[in-house]
Parts: sequence; structure tokens; C-alpha cells
Amino acid sequence: MSDFDPSRRRFLGHLGLAGVGALGASSLLSACASSASGPVDKASGAISLQSNLSSPQAKAAMEKIIENFNKQGSGRATVNTIASETYRTQLPTYLTSANPPDLYTWYAGSVANNYASKNLLLDVSDVWQGLGDYPQSLRNISTDPTGKQIFVPMTNYWWGFFYRKSNFAKWGVQEPKTWAEFITLCQTLKSKGVAPIGIGLGDTPWVASAWFDYLNIRINGAPFHRELLAGKQRFDDPKVKAVFARWREVLPYFDPKGKAYPFQEATTALLANKTGMFLIGTFFADAAPKDALGDLDFFQFPIIDPAVPVAEEAPTDGFFASAKTANPAGTKALLTYLASVQAQETYIQSSSGIVLPAHPKAKAADSPLVVKGKAMLDNAKELTQFFNRDSSDALQPTADTALTKFIDKPDQIDAILREWQTSAEKVFKG
Amino acid sequence: MSTLAPATSRTSAAGPTPKQRRRRANRPSPLLVAFVLVPFAVESIWVFWPALQGFYFSLTRWDGLEPPTFIGFGNYTELAGDAVFRGALVNTVIWLALFGGLSVLGGFGMALLLQRERRGVGFYRAALFTPVVFSLVVTALVWRVFYQPDGLADQLLRAVGLEQLIRPWLADPQTALYAVILPALWRQIGYVMVLYLAGLKAIDPALHEAARMDGANARQRLRHVTIPQLRGVNAVVLSVIVIDSLRSFDIVWALTHGGPYHSSELLSTYMYSAAFQSLRLGYGSAIAVVIFILALAVILGYLVRAFREDA
Repeated sequence: MSDFDPSRRRFLGHLGLAGVGALGASSLLSACASSASGPVDKASGAISLQSNLSSPQAKAAMEKIIENFNKQGSGRATVNTIASETYRTQLPTYLTSANPPDLYTWYAGSVANNYASKNLLLDVSDVWQGLGDYPQSLRNISTDPTGKQIFVPMTNYWWGFFYRKSNFAKWGVQEPKTWAEFITLCQTLKSKGVAPIGIGLGDTPWVASAWFDYLNIRINGAPFHRELLAGKQRFDDPKVKAVFARWREVLPYFDPKGKAYPFQEATTALLANKTGMFLIGTFFADAAPKDALGDLDFFQFPIIDPAVPVAEEAPTDGFFASAKTANPAGTKALLTYLASVQAQETYIQSSSGIVLPAHPKAKAADSPLVVKGKAMLDNAKELTQFFNRDSSDALQPTADTALTKFIDKPDQIDAILREWQTSAEKVFKG
Repeated sequence: MSTLAPATSRTSAAGPTPKQRRRRANRPSPLLVAFVLVPFAVESIWVFWPALQGFYFSLTRWDGLEPPTFIGFGNYTELAGDAVFRGALVNTVIWLALFGGLSVLGGFGMALLLQRERRGVGFYRAALFTPVVFSLVVTALVWRVFYQPDGLADQLLRAVGLEQLIRPWLADPQTALYAVILPALWRQIGYVMVLYLAGLKAIDPALHEAARMDGANARQRLRHVTIPQLRGVNAVVLSVIVIDSLRSFDIVWALTHGGPYHSSELLSTYMYSAAFQSLRLGYGSAIAVVIFILALAVILGYLVRAFREDA
């Protein structure tokens, strides 16, 4: 405050320096933003890990891992857990600040590559030299376009149609394998007075993107999907329209109340036998009572075109480090530990969620559900992440708008796709 | 906040006058100068400076990571052709009219009803004021339970036989905006009521006494005594309403996020999603500037009129 000088020249000088963005966004904008990054303890040389794993079990699991790492003696680390929605909006601020935290939980794929292309991420190729056990698919999604590794995976999970085994037995129905069988299943469930397909779009509209992703990778294949999400294809392409034509075939079987409540309540609806099945990621189980989990099973998104190589959504969570870390060696030591069998097994055991460890030798939970999920991912020819992870968080709202509008007004699909293309272009252009 | 800026800077520019003769009377005490300058310095750093930066950012393309690129009025020309922005502008006008208008009418009505000291009046005042104490996010959670499928709203409609009206209140583009205005009003009426109650208390009872002596009935006293006496309060209420309308964000965000598909989008929520979700901070700043100009225009318009009438 002492160097404040209201003279005009100095003032204009500051204006020119505005680009540095030292004060962040304008007050008009920052009025909406919440807290800045947490304190960074540089003096003690401790590695600070910013974590968005804020559910109580995941938070405790991370804290336990860090505690084990500190006991090991190869360095000291602290974990700072932040509510995930705050974390999402603040991550760019953390990374661009002058004195950033060292390590971050985040997603593999294009979101990480985007930061890497701005030289904000630490090259962790050394860490990967010790990760020979990891499959090539995980190495690929951890590698940026210039060929260096910038990400270390910890866990991934899968998406599928979850249902109650007891209900399917009661209704006398089987898991469908093909689209035709799927439609027959929907018809059967509807005739039994159940809403066949549960969904939860109120507050969590992004759940609809799973439908778009899966239909697109089943009809047009994963490579087209990735190109589309990278801005190399157009959303008003006839191939994209074909996706919605398929979707429309099953729209009448969606739970009409799904528009109004979030996926957590859609989970409750599934468990309360109000809906038949629910396309969701395994994280939904966090919102489910433990005793209900034994009755849950899932089936793979049905095959539409057998000629298209089978791809599955396998969002991968893990870590990247700031390029500006004051202690690269310590950060890499922690990353190496986080990639180890020991750390990942600790995480899997302590967290309640259904997740698969990234390390192939780390033991996943031995429930039949997890075995089935792991087998599905292992058999997939290609893995995709999820809409926002394969594109960007900035593109996600354009999908939310387009998809919720389609579910409401499927007749306007041409206009919706034109609008989607326009708003996507704005995001790609910046 | 920003609208107070000119007043503060004018005060500080006044400083010591050249007339040294009557030092005691004309030159403000150092303590007074400190009281003006220190807040001014703090405001400059935390308010004026970032606000000016906001204007600058609105002329740039900026993703928050790389340095902003200057693009002139590109963001503003884009705003002109942006259907979502037009929708948000219309919604903001609807919001200003309904939320602003109804909270003034409701608040004034409640204040008139509850101004007299009668038995139990304190209870009603407290009941109306309670929603003001809740954080808007808490309010939103309560109302979300109210609106949820098969929630209280649906049960009420079923109980009175109007089940054909039931719809996903917050997920239907036709009702979403109004379903959000209602909880905002529920809160604001209590606030406006308190402002008017204070204003009504300040009216000299002798004026009413005199009017009554002259044979004025209750309507005439309201029209010719109460309302003219409340002019000062009206200015405050209007400023509060306009500012609150234009910055209404939390309740909309907590209930609908501006959706479904932008149908309950206000300028403030669109600014937030443009800036912090689409990471188009330049574009978001341009929307913020529009909000600022709107607020300034409405309030300055009123203040100029009010001052002219005073003079």
C-alpha cells in the first residue's frame, strides 16, 4: 500500500501492466470468485499437494497416503483439500500464481495437455522411467503433444448402466448386448410401470454428456469423437446428427423427473425401484447406502455398430506438478510414491468409492462389480475420458446447454446443433 | 459500490484550501484528512483500480492463463449479436421489474400494516425479516426442497386439486425464472419493509395530526403526507433494489445455474459462466461493464431527478 502513487503517469503505467494480471480479474468479476490459493509453506521445504478429493473418505485416504510418505523419510509433504467446485474454478489461478503449490490432483488428457502447452506443468518423464509396469494406454494419456510426460495417474473408473439385480430378476429381464435388445428392454420396463432410464440433470446437467459420448463412440468411433471435441470436426456435421437420431429412439423411456433432480437423487430413485437403470460413473456409489451396493450390477453401453472398435469411458484421475515448483526433486519423489502399488492400495482400501488403481499390479477391491468393470476396460480397444476431460471445462457448458435442450425439444435438433457449433467455436477461439 | 466512487473522490480532492486566514475554520483537521485519505487509498487499490482494470479487460481476449490480447471493441460487437446475452438482458429487465417492483410494493405495504404498535406486531415483523438473515444459498436450498419433484409445491397443488399444473418448476424453461424470483422476493420484502418502517417512524406525527385536523382521510394522508415524506427513503430503496437486482446471482446460481439452457440466465450469471466456466474473461468483463452502466444509468437517472426536485 505504501508504494501507491495516484499520479497519472504511474497510474497509466499500471494500466499497461494490467496484462500481468497480478490483481487477477476485475473487481466486478472477482466479486464472484472465492478464496485464493492456500498458504504455501516454502521455508520448511515441504511439498504442498492441492487436492480436490473432498469427500470425507477420499480426503482421509489422501491424508493417510501423505502420512505414510512422510514416515518413509524421502521428503515431507502436506495436503490441502479444497471443495471440488472451488478447486475447479481456482486451478488456473493456482497454476499461474507466482508462488504456486507444488502438486495438484487433476485429470489426464486434453485438460492436462492444455496447461502443458502453456508451460505450466513440470516435465515428469523421469518419474515415468520407473513406471514400466504401467500400460501404454495410460502412458499415452499422460504424455503431452511434445512427447514428454506431464501427468501421473492414480486411479480410473468406468461408466455403465447400473441396475438392481433383484429388480432385473423380478422383471425377468437380461442385460442387453445390442441396441435392439436395449430398446426391447426399455419397452418391457415401461410396460411394468417403471421409468426405464434414470437420469439426473438438475444441477448436474453434465451427466447428459455421458449419453452423447457413448453414442458418439459407438456410432462414429473414438477417433472421430476426440477430433470433434478438439474442434477438428463440426457439431452440425450429419455424423453428429446421427447420434441424436439414435438418442431420440430412447428419449421416451427417460424418467421425466430426471430433468429436475441431480444425479445423487437419480441414484436414490434407482435404489428405490422407481427407475430401471441409470447410465452413470461408479462415483454415484458414494451417494448410495452401503447395503444397497451388493444388489447393484451394471452392463456395458450396448453395441450399436459392430464394425466400430469398442471404446469405453475411463476417466483417469491423478496428479500433475507446477513447472514453478521450488523443489522439483521432492515433488517427483512424492509423485513416484503416489504411483506406487503401496500408495494406490492404501487409497483403494480407505476410499469408499468404486475405483480402479492405475498401477496394474495394485490390487483392486475384489467385489464382483469391480472385477467386471476392470475386465470391461481391459477388453476395450480404446479408452476415452469424458466430455470435459477430452475437450475442456470451457466446452462442457456448451454441451450442457445443447443436450438438455435436445432432451426437452428433440424437434429442434438442427437449430440446437448450429447453436452448439457457434458456441463451441467461441470457446475454441478463446 | 462503484457508484459511490465519484462522491468519495470529490471529497478527497477538496483537501486544504488556499485561504489560510481562517485556518481553524477552513482547513480540515489532520485526523479528518486521514479519515478521508486512508479509506480512499484502500478503496483505490481494492475497488477503483480493479474496476478500471475490468474496463481494460473488456477490450481484450483473455483466458486467465496467458497475457490478455487487446482486441478493441470485439467483445462488445459480439455481445450485440449474442442471443444468450439478449435473453439474459431481457431476463434481467423482467427481474428488475418483478423483483424490484413487487418488493417495493410488498415491503411498503407490509411496513404500513405493521408500523402501528399493536399486540403481536413484533412477531410479524420478525417473521417477515427472518428470511433476510438467512444466507441466500441457504434460502435456495430450502426452496429447492420446496420445488423438487413430489416436493411441497407439488403436494400443495395436489391437495387443492390442481395437479395438472405440476411441472418440474426449476427445470422447465417456462417457469424457471419465476420460480427463482419468488424466493428472492420472499427475502427482499422483509428488507425493504425494514427500510420503510424506519422511514415511517421518522415522519413527524404532528404532520398527520395537522392533516387530520384539516379533514384529510386516510388515503389523502397517505398520498399527500406519508409518500412525500418518504422521498429520502425512496432514493435509498431504489438504489438498493437496482443494485440488488443487477447483482442477483447467488440465488439463481444455487437454484438453476441460469439453466435450463439459459432460460433463467441473468446478466450476472452469464457474466460468471462466460468468465469462469468458459474461461473467456475478456467477454465476461464486457458483460460486467454493461451491468455497471445499467446500474449507473438507472440510479443516476433517479438521483438527478430527485436533486432537481429538491433544488
